[in-house]
Amino acid sequence: MTAIIIQLLIGGVLLGGLYALIAFGLSLIYGVARVLNFAHGTLLAIAGIAASVMSAAWGLNPLLIAAILLPVFFAFGWLMYVFLLEPLKARNPMQTVVGTVLVTVGLLLILSDLAAQLAGPTNRNIRLDLDVFAFGGIIVSTTELYILLGIVGLTLALHAILTRTWFGRAVRAVTQDSVGARICGVRAGAIHAATVAFGSAIVAIAGVLYTLNFPVNPYVGFELTVKAFTIIILGGIGSLPGALLAGIFLGVAEALTGFFWSSDWAPGLSIMLLLAILILFPQGFLSRSAT
Amino acid sequence: MTAARRLPGRLLIAAVLVVAALVPIFGGAYLTTFLFTLLYAYIVAQSWDWLHGEAGYVNLGHYIYFGVGAYAFAIANVNGAPVILSFLVAALVTGAMGALLSFPLFRLRGDYFAFATLSLLPLFELLASNLVPITRGSDGILLPPATAMIHGIDVKMFAYYVALAGSVAVFCLSMWMSHTTFGYALKAIRNDEQAAEVVGIRIFPIKLQAMAYGAVAASVAGGTYIWSFRYIEPRTVFGLDVALIPVAMALLGGSGLLWGPLVGAILLSVGIQLLILNLTMLQFTIIGLAILLIGRFMPGGLLRAGWVQRVPLLAPLGHEHHERIAAAAAAATNTAPTATDGLPLARAKPDRSRVLLATRDLTMAFGGNVAVNRVNLEVREGEILGLIGANGSGKTTLFNCLSKVFEPIEGDIVFAGGSLRGLRRDTVSRLGIGRTYQIPRPFGDLTVQENVAMPLMFRADNPLDRRSAMAEAIRFAAFAGLRDKLAERADRLTLQQRKAVEFARALACRPRLLLVDEVASGLTPAEVRRFVDHIREVRDAYGVTVIWVEHLLSALTQVIDRLVVLEQGSIIADGAPNNVLRDEHVLRSYIGTGIKVVA
Amino acid sequence: MMLEVSHLVVDHGELRALWDVSFRVGEGERVALLGANGAGKSTTLGAVLNLYRPASGTILYCGKPVSGRETHDNVADGIALVPEGRRLFPDMTVRENLQMGAYVRARRHTVGEGLDRCYALFPVLKDKADQPAGQLSGGQQQMVAIGRALMSRPRLLLLDEPFLGVAPIIIEEVMAALQRLSQDGVTMLLVEQNIRRAMDFVARAYVIENGRTVLEGTRESLLGDPNFSNKFLGLD
Repeated sequence: MTAIIIQLLIGGVLLGGLYALIAFGLSLIYGVARVLNFAHGTLLAIAGIAASVMSAAWGLNPLLIAAILLPVFFAFGWLMYVFLLEPLKARNPMQTVVGTVLVTVGLLLILSDLAAQLAGPTNRNIRLDLDVFAFGGIIVSTTELYILLGIVGLTLALHAILTRTWFGRAVRAVTQDSVGARICGVRAGAIHAATVAFGSAIVAIAGVLYTLNFPVNPYVGFELTVKAFTIIILGGIGSLPGALLAGIFLGVAEALTGFFWSSDWAPGLSIMLLLAILILFPQGFLSRSAT
Repeated sequence: MTAARRLPGRLLIAAVLVVAALVPIFGGAYLTTFLFTLLYAYIVAQSWDWLHGEAGYVNLGHYIYFGVGAYAFAIANVNGAPVILSFLVAALVTGAMGALLSFPLFRLRGDYFAFATLSLLPLFELLASNLVPITRGSDGILLPPATAMIHGIDVKMFAYYVALAGSVAVFCLSMWMSHTTFGYALKAIRNDEQAAEVVGIRIFPIKLQAMAYGAVAASVAGGTYIWSFRYIEPRTVFGLDVALIPVAMALLGGSGLLWGPLVGAILLSVGIQLLILNLTMLQFTIIGLAILLIGRFMPGGLLRAGWVQRVPLLAPLGHEHHERIAAAAAAATNTAPTATDGLPLARAKPDRSRVLLATRDLTMAFGGNVAVNRVNLEVREGEILGLIGANGSGKTTLFNCLSKVFEPIEGDIVFAGGSLRGLRRDTVSRLGIGRTYQIPRPFGDLTVQENVAMPLMFRADNPLDRRSAMAEAIRFAAFAGLRDKLAERADRLTLQQRKAVEFARALACRPRLLLVDEVASGLTPAEVRRFVDHIREVRDAYGVTVIWVEHLLSALTQVIDRLVVLEQGSIIADGAPNNVLRDEHVLRSYIGTGIKVVA
Repeated sequence: MMLEVSHLVVDHGELRALWDVSFRVGEGERVALLGANGAGKSTTLGAVLNLYRPASGTILYCGKPVSGRETHDNVADGIALVPEGRRLFPDMTVRENLQMGAYVRARRHTVGEGLDRCYALFPVLKDKADQPAGQLSGGQQQMVAIGRALMSRPRLLLLDEPFLGVAPIIIEEVMAALQRLSQDGVTMLLVEQNIRRAMDFVARAYVIENGRTVLEGTRESLLGDPNFSNKFLGLD
């Protein structure tokens, strides 16, 4: 029994770590540009699908794939912000909220449908066919180890960027006090676009890692965005440790729920958790208005 | 618009309805199905707009009510319930669900609310797929073929007429809402929830009602859907793609406009239909693109677009329905007899010996910073009390505690013998405390008259209906010097006029205690003097007690009986203005030592 | 003339915050803007940095117009603001807060020496360099705010009520540091509510009331005016 639980925990931590990275990208985007990108998870799905296609067709190494996808998604995020989202900020607050929602939901639909048309709607992942190890009843595959390495590596890279680069410091500064940042000479528009681009790039790499072990199809996007949202609520905006803790908590909870209760219910866990938090902790998470 | 001019419009609408009623008989299956789809989508779109266009909440999960209504109808019907009962069950179950969901959902606002509600769609899809004993899971529910005909007529026909009747009902309901205080409460919430509370609106029950009504309407649409198409499964009623089409419809036409959702429904239905006919694939890409373009370029809707507004026939459609009502009400004042002197408030002589408000060791802190430190203050009836202090002295925080913007962490506020601890803002307003804001917060897209009428519609004893409230509001507005501006939108007024609207609105709350927040900033000396005169009159004639927080001493000294000075959260002086202004400690706090106030 | 403001009019949305503000600050001078809360002093400072776009009027910095230039250009040119309420980044360390002061490209390479200067001016910040700024006391946070402004090597330092919420002993320390800076040639424009404190520090002052400059003078002429305090309190 213990072995099974540990096995579940490993899977849960892995998945949770990936959730955390997805959530953190969304959290950065929201903390700086005040945009809740409904298409965020879909970007992951697209990245994952692209990665699996590239791997299957050209046999490319996942690291190389990530290196190729990173600038593509960075650019996409930048363009998305500049052409679709920034112009909406000039409107009155209610229209900005509605407009942003519609734009990102529209993107979600377009991207998932195009992906389904071009690459098919069925599940895909990257097949690596690597060795498996066994420690006393627990089975761990090399793929999972690579994913863990990837998560750790990405987390460390994020931390380094946020604490040691001017860009990273500016992002944190804008999240904590946008007026103070402005006084220091931070240009709002450029930082917003750069952060959306950055967050999109993060989610693309997370997508490659995700697809190494877990299947993606064009429609998993929104479900992942919901989980990311729940994690932000739990862990706080702009907090990397918070996102990790909350993400791992969710991943493990899903794994345990799936095993002990039913795997049918695991996907709905995050939204039910979200509603429960809202009922039990009314004083938190209020007044997140568009202004 | 006179009745004669409205006649062609009404005839046109009647003609359209007659044609619509004849379609199932003469129009053929394709047209009937197309129009049926349009009608039930319209019901969902318009009911969505009650919460959005009126109250400003983006409920992206509205479609769950459609789905739950369809499932409830199906389950009831499959278990033998007759059609009418099935509809009733659908409406009741969905309405109750909408009310229950209000509790967690309305803890959120803005994009968080949008997100949480959108997440309900996959949740309900999951519930529908997994609760197999109830919903038959992904197999879906098929209504028995035996019930597909009634007296030899296909039920599709009946479903069509129910949808048609439902559409008309929903349209009329929307129109009716503009006339009622309920509709005005929603508009107030849309503009400024805190200000809505301050005028006495209980915002949560209002929002819950809007949600529940919308849920019931959408459930009826859902019922007609499955009654006609005979089969549902989770994906078709909870899928993200279909769920957002009604939202896009309402926004495309113009949210908050009477004709907006209908125009949007027609345009989008036709557009999607054309696309589906001509394209065999990428249909959801097109839908997504439509939604994206609407969001990016027309979140205000087609009817509000500049080029539409220039077409004389279409221009009135771009105005909210209440605007016409408000204009009519304002026009009516010209024929009304000139207002009698003063305000419709009871002329009262205050009992100067009675304490109206007392704070007991009132303390407020933010984190480690104690802003108000065990303040004991007494205000007697009929006093005009000035409250001053340097920046950071706590005077604004004290004021905000008295007006219930903040809940003090310690101590108590006793008003007319009763404690204010833990009371909601709207309750406090009804007890007789009114306030103005330093930066005025009138309801921007409502007229002056509508703004001032608000408290009259929501007061505890004898709340007025819209018509009477609008009429009585004139006298308050006239008192504040706004008689000529009744029909003007509040967000188009000058600063001084907006302060006047707030003042009139605060008076309409029939306060026993009026809290005035830094009214002088931004006003010329003459305008300040006018305000001072109003405040004096309000106390002299109607016995209203006033606490006035201000930094412009020259304004206060014209009218106050007593001056209280705060420093670092404590009162350092309390007495007649002349004495207080000579107090060494006060001068040091404000100016520094070595300065004397010349007699 | 380091700073010349003429007939400045600034709106916050529909609210007119400044109706007619005019003043000048010479190079190396220390000048105060006095007035009660809400009079428009913070808005004036913000307009100098172009946080707010004036509706009309001119602001000349070293002879060049300032409005129309982006805030970060003004910072790069040598204007720095210590804002009301400090506006620090509470979850970032003291060091990181200070570093952000040198964010403009032209100053990034000077971060090291900038930090040294700040620590020399306010030694306690060196001890607290790795602490999150939000955990510091009011006075220490004020030091961080001033230090952050200094990191961009300003020629003109704008200070908005820098002594609010600061213990008296710390005020002494901060004042001394500002004196030293002034001796180094930094021009200062100080917004203050407390006349005595301001007059201890500056030689000239303007009084702003309800968005208008109503009084101007040197320390001697203002304090010597028997009606000054009445005028200041607006009792005339």
